[in-house]
Amino acid sequence: MSDAPPGDVSDDAARRIAWAARGMPVLSSIQEGLTARGALNGLRIGIGLVLEPKTANLALALQHAGAQVSVHCRGRLTTEGVARALEAAGLQVYAERAATQERDAELARGFFQTRPDILLDDGAELIRLAHREHPDLVEDMLGAAEETTSGVQALRVMHEQGVLKIPVIAVSDSRIKHLFDNVYGTGQSCVMALLDITNLQLAGRLVMVVGYGWVGQGVARHAAALGARVIVSEIDAVKALQALHDGHRVQSLSDAAPDVEIVFAATGVAGAVTRAHVERMQDGVILCTAGGGAFELPMGYLNALGTATEVRPSVTEYATPAGKTVLVIGQGDCLNCSDAEGNPIEVMDLSLSLQAFAAEGIATEGRNRPPGIYPVSPQIETAVAQARLRHEGATLETLTEELFAAMHSW
Amino acid sequence: MSLSLPGPTPAAVGTAKIEWVRRRSPVLDGFVRERLGDGALDGVTIAVVVHLEAKTAFLATVLADAGADVVVAGSNPRTTRQDVVEALKERGMTVVAAADGDYESWHQEMLAAADYGPTYIVDDGAELTLRMARHRPELFARLKGVSEETTTGTARLQAIAETGKLPFPAMTANNARCKHLFDNVYGTGQTGIQAMLRLTNRQIAGTHLVVVGYGFVGRGTARYARALGAHTYVIETDPVRALEAHMDGHTVGSPADVLPTAEMVFTATGGVRAIGEEDLALLRHDVVLANVGHSDLEIDVEALRRAATSIVHPREAVETFRLGDRDVHLLSSGALVNIAGGSGHPVEIMDLSFAVQAVGTHYLATHELRPGVHVIPEELDNAIAVAKLRSLGISLTQTRANQKEDVKEMMDGGHHDE
Repeated sequence: MSDAPPGDVSDDAARRIAWAARGMPVLSSIQEGLTARGALNGLRIGIGLVLEPKTANLALALQHAGAQVSVHCRGRLTTEGVARALEAAGLQVYAERAATQERDAELARGFFQTRPDILLDDGAELIRLAHREHPDLVEDMLGAAEETTSGVQALRVMHEQGVLKIPVIAVSDSRIKHLFDNVYGTGQSCVMALLDITNLQLAGRLVMVVGYGWVGQGVARHAAALGARVIVSEIDAVKALQALHDGHRVQSLSDAAPDVEIVFAATGVAGAVTRAHVERMQDGVILCTAGGGAFELPMGYLNALGTATEVRPSVTEYATPAGKTVLVIGQGDCLNCSDAEGNPIEVMDLSLSLQAFAAEGIATEGRNRPPGIYPVSPQIETAVAQARLRHEGATLETLTEELFAAMHSW
Repeated sequence: MSLSLPGPTPAAVGTAKIEWVRRRSPVLDGFVRERLGDGALDGVTIAVVVHLEAKTAFLATVLADAGADVVVAGSNPRTTRQDVVEALKERGMTVVAAADGDYESWHQEMLAAADYGPTYIVDDGAELTLRMARHRPELFARLKGVSEETTTGTARLQAIAETGKLPFPAMTANNARCKHLFDNVYGTGQTGIQAMLRLTNRQIAGTHLVVVGYGFVGRGTARYARALGAHTYVIETDPVRALEAHMDGHTVGSPADVLPTAEMVFTATGGVRAIGEEDLALLRHDVVLANVGHSDLEIDVEALRRAATSIVHPREAVETFRLGDRDVHLLSSGALVNIAGGSGHPVEIMDLSFAVQAVGTHYLATHELRPGVHVIPEELDNAIAVAKLRSLGISLTQTRANQKEDVKEMMDGGHHDE
């Protein structure tokens, strides 16, 4: 990986990329194999992941394996120095921190002009955009890999409707991804980002987690560990029951709204928190999004109030007609990425290693696969888990003949 | 990112930070203001020497609003925030501190605060008190009292008192239950871990994490770390505390036992050289060292510098020391990591701690106490807790009259014998 970090464009970013590399033993250990097997050699890979030091290491590893790598990311989720450092390393970078919405769209068009064979996507944004605006490009594409649960969800809908034209590996469906990245990574970093941004204490606070998927579980677990009293709202009865067994209160958002002090939307679904919910909440309530995006919060209603003031960096206060205030963190975007440094390094080592393997899988198999959603293979999952366990000095039990026999008798 | 729009002035940013604190400090903004409103502090010069950020600024504001002449300085050269300094100056307060200072400029700031001839000091680590004793003996003799924030400062004041050289009463805020049960455990516990993770972008779940010292700060750090999924190890010299750490579920051992696998180390002894020269050989590659104790010298940074073949700065507030074939990372140069490398204690915690400080200072001004180290009376400690609970909408139950009688009877050895 980046032992000698690239470029003098942003020395600071280069050092941060190298720092991330220290915590990514798996990616580092698989890089040589990827290069030696040569499957990525000469292929054009387009990356649409949050642009920061950890994903920079993935991009550099793919480049090292012979791929021509291009990168696109929305301005809000781009770390400027990292973008410039990757550019200096010879990647094609279509991302600017200060980009407006129009500029982002322009950058995305530039990105697609590199005609990527493979997309490594986050939130299925690039895959959807390609299907909408660059159908000719999609025809030639080998396939893609998708990082997030909500992205895969959208892709499944596309596939059911017969619109999806390429095979996509659902990285987020892998146990190696959602058991760790969503729970420990997003859970830790969203809760910590909230505390870093607000300087508040969590012990004793009433925290609402909307949605008890993997991210919701992680947020609830980390908030409870820090002493918060957690209430979970769910539409799925089994997940709600699971939340109850994990020691959380379960209540609908409407019921709990008057009591809650902090709300984490963790559904990945638009409109999870509504204007009606917000109107029932107490003065000074804090709203933020973990994992998904601002679409989960009633930002349209809040912005239309015309009362937004930035009361602290990353904190916007809205005054409602009822004379109450509502605080929104990071404009409602997933706060660990938009207003902190994203997931912790170690957990991204697992997820991004899967992405690297997925890219290789598509390079070798993509032509033969009909459009659809494909899982990460168990062999790859095992390889990633073993690499990490080896690094931690953990040892595994051996499957002896006796055990094997015991497991296959009745 | 820097845009062409002119941003708000530093003073405006500082003022917004202080307002954020005020709105979340119901005890200081309510109970304490009321209690200090009797004019006892009118015209009294008070030096506030605590880490100079928004919460301290609000304490200084409450004291000034109660009529005191407040002079503000910072208790550590690395923790002063310039926007807060500007905001206080704009409010007409005397501030003798500036951000980005070093130990020499800080020492000069402390002497400048001393030269205002304060009647009382709200101190942190007894930093100003000790300097006045040494460098301004005539002004030291005129001090009427000190209210001290930390465990370390309390120990320092007690040491002076034992030699008979403390001519005035000192209140140790730290020994009030509303301080050490919350500030040290929940405040430093939460924010020390927070700063570690923010400065490194590392994950805590599964990490081997060592806490050196199992006082209130150490146990808070260990508790939060374990709750977040770390494997926690404790190094302690006091056998009772070590046993307590063991029963709390942490693995207790000597430096030689636990340092070689440590990925994160927190020092929380309140002393110096908790990680000393002889420990450096035990540290594994890529370990991150951070201090959550009062002194910048808990990690022997000088020994690290001497031993290192190279020192680089991979990230903001991170220094990497090359020791042979190992890299050792140090956060915030060994200063209190939650304050120097973060935004300090949570607002709610400092509402309690500073309520103890303010009430303690008021108590000094309204009572004749003998020289020595004192704690605020239990009823004041309780009144602060009641004010906090009330702000949360929580009411307490009273002991019923017949319960009291039953208890009395039990104590007298009555009716449980049959």
